[in-house]
Amino acid sequence: MSLFIEKELKESNISKYRKKALRNNKIAGIIISLGGYGVVLSITAILLFLIYEAVPLSFSAAIEEFSFFNSKNKNEKIMLAGLDRYVEVEYLVFENGIINFYSVSDGSLLKVEKLPLKLNEKILCADKGSLSNEIFSVVTDSSRLIVAEARMLPNYDRNKRVIVPELKIKSISNLSDEDDSKNRSIKLFKYSKNEDGNDFWAWVNDRNELFVKIFEAEEEVFYFHSLIDQVRDVEITSLAITQNGESLIVGENSGELLWFDISDYNEVKLKDNWKASASAVSAIDFLIGDNALALGTTAGEVQVWFPIRTKNNNFKFQRIHRFKSHDSAVSEIFVSSRNRSFISIDESNVLQLNYSTTSETQVKFTASTNSITTASFSPKSDALIIADEQANIGIFKVDNDHPETTIDALFGKMWYEGYDSPEFVWQSTGGTDEFESKFSLIPLIFGTFKGTLYAMLFSVPLALFAAIYVSQFAPKKVARIIKPTIEIMAALPSVVIGFLAGLYFSPLFQEHLMTVLLIPVLIIIMFLVSVFVWKSIPEIKRVKFAKGTDLLFVLPFLVISFLLAAGVSNILELNLFDGNINQWMYEVLGINYDQRNSFVVGFALGFAVVPIIFTISEDSLSNVPQSLTSASFALGASPWQTVVRIVLPAAAGGIFSAIMLGLGRAIGETMIVLMATGNTPIMDLSPFNGFRAMSASIAVEIPEAPVDGTLYRVLFLTALLLFAFTFAINSVAALIGDRLRKKYARF
Amino acid sequence: MAINISTAISRETVSELLNENIVIQTNNLSLYYTPEKSALKNVNIQIPEKKVTAFIGPSGCGKSTLLRNFNRMNDLIPGIKIEGKILINGKNIYDPDVELEDLRKRVGMVFQKSNPFPMSIWENIAFGPKVNGLSNKKDIDEIVEESLRQADLWKEVKERLNESALDLSGGQQQRLCIARALANKPEIILMDEPASALDPISTGKIEETIDELRNNYTIVIVTHNMQQAARISDYTAFMMVGELVEFNDTNTLFTHPDKKLTEEYITGRFG
Repeated sequence: MSLFIEKELKESNISKYRKKALRNNKIAGIIISLGGYGVVLSITAILLFLIYEAVPLSFSAAIEEFSFFNSKNKNEKIMLAGLDRYVEVEYLVFENGIINFYSVSDGSLLKVEKLPLKLNEKILCADKGSLSNEIFSVVTDSSRLIVAEARMLPNYDRNKRVIVPELKIKSISNLSDEDDSKNRSIKLFKYSKNEDGNDFWAWVNDRNELFVKIFEAEEEVFYFHSLIDQVRDVEITSLAITQNGESLIVGENSGELLWFDISDYNEVKLKDNWKASASAVSAIDFLIGDNALALGTTAGEVQVWFPIRTKNNNFKFQRIHRFKSHDSAVSEIFVSSRNRSFISIDESNVLQLNYSTTSETQVKFTASTNSITTASFSPKSDALIIADEQANIGIFKVDNDHPETTIDALFGKMWYEGYDSPEFVWQSTGGTDEFESKFSLIPLIFGTFKGTLYAMLFSVPLALFAAIYVSQFAPKKVARIIKPTIEIMAALPSVVIGFLAGLYFSPLFQEHLMTVLLIPVLIIIMFLVSVFVWKSIPEIKRVKFAKGTDLLFVLPFLVISFLLAAGVSNILELNLFDGNINQWMYEVLGINYDQRNSFVVGFALGFAVVPIIFTISEDSLSNVPQSLTSASFALGASPWQTVVRIVLPAAAGGIFSAIMLGLGRAIGETMIVLMATGNTPIMDLSPFNGFRAMSASIAVEIPEAPVDGTLYRVLFLTALLLFAFTFAINSVAALIGDRLRKKYARF
Repeated sequence: MAINISTAISRETVSELLNENIVIQTNNLSLYYTPEKSALKNVNIQIPEKKVTAFIGPSGCGKSTLLRNFNRMNDLIPGIKIEGKILINGKNIYDPDVELEDLRKRVGMVFQKSNPFPMSIWENIAFGPKVNGLSNKKDIDEIVEESLRQADLWKEVKERLNESALDLSGGQQQRLCIARALANKPEIILMDEPASALDPISTGKIEETIDELRNNYTIVIVTHNMQQAARISDYTAFMMVGELVEFNDTNTLFTHPDKKLTEEYITGRFG
């Protein structure tokens, strides 16, 4: 009886134990699969995040109406319109000198100001003189020039932003002190105020006479120039003055342009003239930066020209970009104060939003049913205000955050202002507001691959030969020291390697360039010498060395080659290279030696890659079964023949994976390339200059990139590309490695 | 050729061997894997030309070690020490002027486990001639065909010479290894238990192959299988704990051996 109970007890214990084991098994299974799925999920999440941040770059521009109202002042023509930087307040300048400030949200009149006009005095023309603030000048039928500024500054009252509008009269003067009877009717009028506060006016009267007036603010002197003689009988149809007041461009009915240099206030010189179009140039203006000239013609053409350096070091305007044509004559061009955007408006009130650098017409729509009298970008170029002759005011939201990043701009050659030809340029930030960011990823991709190339040139042979030696030739004792030593190299933080490369080896290499260049040559020569010496030792003495230790015999010869290189370099340099090889290379070969260059990076990055390639390929070489090598030896193959014909093919899959993993590491490596390259985004394969890799670019620039700005997103795109590259390389490595293994590694 | 008469060789065999041309001869051959552990002790043996000589003995007796000395495969083992002489055609193969690769070309080897290279059948056979400097494809083609015919494999594989050797069956792979050894046109073929991993039918085929080769090659075969030794060999050496116990013509050794130890072994009293 008791025995029976005992047995039952035991059985229940066993089943309990089984259950526990099963339960543990289940829990372990869940945890392990969670881990696996977790890894896949997090990688997917990273990928999705990168895509999420980069995708807005590809969004096309959109313009939508945001507010519309009628100023109820139909009798007075609207001469100018403008917005504040928050698009909360707008102002209109009427023909009679009244300036009204309105609230954008409800169209309510906030403030009424008045220009000091005399009774019945009317404004003939008005023009804004600055891209950074709302300074404008008007010319009246009494030949007076009034400069004023519409200020809309924010005031923080109880933490609430209130825009306070006010008008500041800056100056009042006459068109001309000498003669004002002639200039009663003004047809064209342009005004600029530069950073020094100097004012520049240019106008054309109804007799097609061109005048320039300049006010020098420091000396408080007016300069007046009549350009009547300079302008031929052709009717002037448009005018433009640069922001800095250095150039005046005159567009003519014949399609010709005249370029006047007005930087010398005492003398206005005609610099150049050329034919831009077969039709009359009906609208011109300079884009921000005072370099590119946007131009519209009566045939509806829209073009951008900028000056290119000619062979004899002059500048000549060239047509660089063409945009979608308007169906009728272009009447006005307004430029953005933020970027290379400009709008062109034609006589049938169709508005085009163009982006100069990319030659793209981003949006085209009919802005009004009535004739448009004036328009303007908001200071941040995120809105447009358009006024028509019926006093309708439309405010449009412009969604155009990243006009400069088309596929062409990111991956193709772009003709940027100041360049002689289209080029791949990466230059994300500049010193001034006028700077145009250049986001060609090609130099970065090139840099990444250049660094990788030099690293692989250095590391693949070294790591592979080391792996072959350790796995096939070295005595066990030596192998046991070499293998872990190389593997420990992988544990070196890349910052340390980068630091050493950038701050120690770069100057060292530069100072001892001759020695550095000599060493590889001498190593090869001395290696051959050592083989010769080895062979001349009698066989009986040689046999006493254990197998594989014979290679250690080379070591003293390597030391000798180092010493020799150091000793000989000075003499060689003095006699062959005029005492300084860096100088000689620059003068004779035209090679510029930068201190932080690809050579140093190849060395340092190679140092980081060697352990990866070495370890994995050594493993796969060691895994080649001895039965195969024995069979090869037994057939009379020498050790080297065995390595080349049997071991290497059998380990090819592993070696291939090792090299690809090394490649992946080199491509993604950041700190070394960041610290040792100089980060110059140039495209030149020379080993003696630097480059900028994608990873280093991200590391350098992300701290200074405004969140959600173009640079920020472009850097995310770079990261995405980097991800894609390493992903592709690893996938290809896995695929090909697998195939190689299936083919050769069946043992 | 003077024959060192050792106790292991019976008088009758000695007289028989006097009529043979001796190809391999060892003089007081000893081998140590470590200074303490000897694998061969004072082995003296003469192996006649164009005969099949079998080595038998219990596991660990040193028969494979002895075999692997004849093409110096033991050199690959680290820390090994060899004393005495091995003369092949009268020349000590440990002399410094002996080229290892040339020796191994002359002394071919077939291993216990078939080890074809992960290449095509053709490339497997061509490997030996190629590493020994032959490059004319036509010549190699001839050698490949001849070797495969000799190893009795030609009919089975002639249609698929470019397919991987690893797709062959186990027995075919082993015969391929024999053909591969034959491609070097060796004088001597060492076989280290060539059929131990094979089924009876494949074993039979291997034995047939050996039988066909006996007239042209000196074959030394290590085998675990006494019946096999009795079936295929002309001479048999029985070894124990690194010593050559008895070397006799096969018939004598299996019917009335000289030594009691041999008799006990072949009758299965230990092993």
